[in-house]
Amino acid sequence: MMKMSDERNTGFDTRMFEEEVKLTYKGPIDERILSSIGDYISTMEKFADATSVKKLFKIFLELAQNISFYSAVKVKMNDNREIGMGTLVLKEFDDSFFLLTGNPVMNDNIISILEKSEYINSLDRESLRQYKRDERRRPQGEKGNAHIGLITVALTASNPLDVEVSPIDDDKSFFSIGVKIDK
Amino acid sequence: MENIIIQGSHKDYFIPSVNFNAQNGMCEIAGESFLEDTVEFYKPLIKWLEEYTTAVKKPIAFIIKLTYFNTSTSRSILDLLNVLKDYEDNGGEVVINWHYDENDIDMEEDIEDYMIDTGLDINLIPFSQQ
Repeated sequence: MMKMSDERNTGFDTRMFEEEVKLTYKGPIDERILSSIGDYISTMEKFADATSVKKLFKIFLELAQNISFYSAVKVKMNDNREIGMGTLVLKEFDDSFFLLTGNPVMNDNIISILEKSEYINSLDRESLRQYKRDERRRPQGEKGNAHIGLITVALTASNPLDVEVSPIDDDKSFFSIGVKIDK
Repeated sequence: MENIIIQGSHKDYFIPSVNFNAQNGMCEIAGESFLEDTVEFYKPLIKWLEEYTTAVKKPIAFIIKLTYFNTSTSRSILDLLNVLKDYEDNGGEVVINWHYDENDIDMEEDIEDYMIDTGLDINLIPFSQQ
């Protein structure tokens, strides 16, 4: 006998199936996920104007690479590499895309990420470009790259970073960034 | 001096096409750049330019046709341009042409930022996408 949907716990959040949600993902984000979802986004060009899809592609790759490198929860792959876990949600509206990415972050790092994001949101475009050039001149290092990544996202989107943090446990919090990309 | 020729590809990573020619000084990077190890990929290109600008010392035409590059690549591009700037400051002849999609305003801004950053003249060459 078929069960009514409310009688079993599928584990699915029905909000995932709302019409504007075009894609959801949770899991390790390695280069295969990056390139295949990136390519999927590129093919959406048929449905929207090319500029906004290109922006979405660029923003997706920056944010997803950040998860891959900096997520506090890593998955060990069979080639021994440790890949960051995270979530992605892509929504499409008539006039915009909304990309939400999230991953666990160690509580010790939360304040610096929030300060960076707030600082980025406080700058106008010219100051943001200046900030990016200053950060880029610093020696190569993974941490610095994360900041330039966020600056690049803010510049590409021309919209503020919508940042949220919710506690997971004593060590970790769930950190998410939402970005609106106008069509 | 050996030439560098790298066939670009778009698979799990996006590898740019590279063609550095020591005979005529034409150096081209095209395609997309999202790499497993960006520093490792660009290190030989930077070394090649350093060698060319100290040993061969002939004019360089540096041509960039990248349609996408990630943040870590943007640092390596800066490293390449800085070698060209040093060469120019020391009397070397350098022309840099950067081709980009005319609709890609972000790319145009990126190129301007490189000019501000390095003090180099970069020729912006917009193309229209078919």
